[in-house]
Amino acid sequence: MNTNRISRWYLLNLAGVGIFCVVMLWLISKFLSSGLYPLASIFIAVVVFFTLVYLRPRLTPFRWMAVGIGIVIIFTLYPILYMFYLSVTNMGSGHLMSKQQAISRLEEQLYLPEDSQTYSWTAYQSSDGEFALWLIAGEGENAGQGLLAIPGEPIEAVEPGTGRVGEPDDKGIPLSIEGYERLDLRQTVPLITRISSLDFGEPPTTVRVSSLQVAAPLVSRYEYDSAEDAIVDLKTNEIYRPIEGTFTSESGEELSPGYIVYIGLRHYKNFLGNSRFREPLLSMLFWNISFAFMSVLVSFAVGLIVTLMFENLPGKRIIRALLIIPWPIPVLVSILIWRSMLHPDLGFVAPILESLVGQSPAWFQDTFWTRFGVIMVNVWLSYPYFYVISAGAIRSIPTEIFDAAVVDGAGAFQKLQHITLPLLLRILMPLLIASFTFNFNNFNVIYVFNFGNPPRPDTIVPMGYTDILISFVYRLAFITSNVTNYGLAAAITVMLFILVGMMVLIQIRFTRLFQEAY
Amino acid sequence: MRNAEVFSRSSTEPVTTRTPIRFEKWAQYGFAYLIALVLIAFAVAPALWVISASFNPAKSLVAGTLFPKNPDLSNYDQLFSSEFFPYATWFLNSLKIASITTLLAILITCTAGYALSRFRFQGRRTLMFAILILNIFPAILAIVALFSMIQQLGLYLPGMGLDSHAPLIFIYVAGSSGINVLIVKAYIDSIPSEIDESALVDGATHWQTFMYIIFPIMRPIVITIGVLTFIAAYGDFIIARVLLKSSDQLTVMVGMLLFQTDRFDRDFGIITAGAVIAAIPIILIYIPLQKYVIDGLTAGSIKG
Repeated sequence: MNTNRISRWYLLNLAGVGIFCVVMLWLISKFLSSGLYPLASIFIAVVVFFTLVYLRPRLTPFRWMAVGIGIVIIFTLYPILYMFYLSVTNMGSGHLMSKQQAISRLEEQLYLPEDSQTYSWTAYQSSDGEFALWLIAGEGENAGQGLLAIPGEPIEAVEPGTGRVGEPDDKGIPLSIEGYERLDLRQTVPLITRISSLDFGEPPTTVRVSSLQVAAPLVSRYEYDSAEDAIVDLKTNEIYRPIEGTFTSESGEELSPGYIVYIGLRHYKNFLGNSRFREPLLSMLFWNISFAFMSVLVSFAVGLIVTLMFENLPGKRIIRALLIIPWPIPVLVSILIWRSMLHPDLGFVAPILESLVGQSPAWFQDTFWTRFGVIMVNVWLSYPYFYVISAGAIRSIPTEIFDAAVVDGAGAFQKLQHITLPLLLRILMPLLIASFTFNFNNFNVIYVFNFGNPPRPDTIVPMGYTDILISFVYRLAFITSNVTNYGLAAAITVMLFILVGMMVLIQIRFTRLFQEAY
Repeated sequence: MRNAEVFSRSSTEPVTTRTPIRFEKWAQYGFAYLIALVLIAFAVAPALWVISASFNPAKSLVAGTLFPKNPDLSNYDQLFSSEFFPYATWFLNSLKIASITTLLAILITCTAGYALSRFRFQGRRTLMFAILILNIFPAILAIVALFSMIQQLGLYLPGMGLDSHAPLIFIYVAGSSGINVLIVKAYIDSIPSEIDESALVDGATHWQTFMYIIFPIMRPIVITIGVLTFIAAYGDFIIARVLLKSSDQLTVMVGMLLFQTDRFDRDFGIITAGAVIAAIPIILIYIPLQKYVIDGLTAGSIKG
């Protein structure tokens, strides 16, 4: 009984692994044939990893983690590596796919050879949604001949009233075809996009609907010559050769879509070498650092003040409950609320300020006040966290230290200055640095509060005065809509990665130092 | 400072007559209460204001009225019955995505945490270091690559491309599991290994030991990482904004973001109603479980 159960479990297990491997291998072969080599290689890595873990008893502990590691490899590690790759490519509008994908896109394009036979057509639909066409040949040798065209079957000339084709009406169009029902014009029009995407007949002789009246044998316009590595236009006999990810003719005409190619460090030179790009970027970096620093400093200060002042206060539990109200509210909702509160027409802040000081700042137009606003909102969002962690840290300081200090005659302020603060800073420094790193990339506040605006004047690509690097990258990739440049966005992200990496090194160093000291 | 003293004296008159030390103490308290009052106003005002605005039937708010004149539910009515946006669908999408993410994350991090804590194998330290490093780079840094990758995946794997929920879930799981696995591992480290050793001696498999002995003890930490993961997945709007396209697939946060960009002035009341509803699941989860979250955060943070 017991062995039976184990072997059944084992078989089930084996079948699962088998199915998984088959699916993965099929996927990998698809990726390879479409030229998606980076994606294929990461999937190969994952399959190899899974197989090794499954087969080698020494790797048994990894079975507990295999799924998680697989997900992290594909959805965290791969995008990071892929980002580095993208930063040295021309990926962007017009260059979104691999070479193979672009070629097959081009080869799908059809054209109507000049001297070819055209037909008028009538559509028929079967009960399960399949279509058939009745074609009547236009001018030419066979003018007036009726043909039956069904996707996947050879086109045949049939006399109406014979075989599957029903009796003709007065125009010679069959009233019915076996299994299909005739559609009148009113029924055909809504289906035209579906019908015109079908090839009727059997390759290579197929007919496509090219307008409501006309169907014609369309043929591929472009053919890829792999020996020459060039695309031939069968209509004009023009030859297009690849230049930087675009097939280009000798006269400079370009075929769309293009594809992704390696272009070296051009993006980096582009923004590091051009002063009209570099200078606003440097100023943005400076604001980025100040934003993160001010956010952490003020939030921590507020959190700390709250902790120290209310630690022994009667009613502290209620105060604390009220003070961490901002915490569970979703960040986006909080920022939206702030945005509406500060709104000149809708919010209540403007009238209050006007009655108190006579004027209200332009929160969303003025650079200084927008920056002030984002930091204020960010403090509102994050001081509860600092409150909670510094309260926890204070409780972890042994009370004997304070008692000893009091015996030595220390006052409240001296205790704070010489004992509490240094100890707290020592305990919390790694957290403060982590928080700085987080705020350095705090896209949410910047983007939702004012989309990084007000805009900077005279920049090559749109940038805002409250934009931080990551929100600028987002703007570049997803907002500036007419020409997106993913490669450039990736290159700037790589710089961000390096900056964050440096902060992390500092953080690790601090953590070590403090762990040794503490 | 002077204000604070006036404030405290008037409020504590009867006490001060007894001893001067007590007076000083109450003066301090008074000052503290004053600060507390200011901070509480700062903390509470936005939440109160959005709730009151959501019950205000007036299209444009009359500034400064905390309590609307004729409060009613018309904003909520319009929110759920609008033909321009499917708010209810967004809301359910969010709950679905966040719940599946949370379950998957708990499953993955608990088993992995157990292995990292209880097994000794080659590459264990390297693996933990790799997790630590990877965890540092937030998913948004790779947003361009994620977009491109998901687009390519979707060409061959139905349900894994743009505009579907599965890739989002995987991205959230991958993003949250790094820190979570380290927290869980630290927690299991604190459980004496004699407990599972005796089970193993009695003939239990590692899996049984984990399922029936360790996992039940882990309840507090499971709740902590569960709540944190749910809040993160529910609250995300950037990755969802980039990956989701059609109106029926959006999450409630992306919907709110679109409100903000498209209809801010026009439908202000509806937006505030949407904001209140969007915040409810998190508040409902957070309030009963906040002790676990705070304990988990402080424990995790102070251990470094």
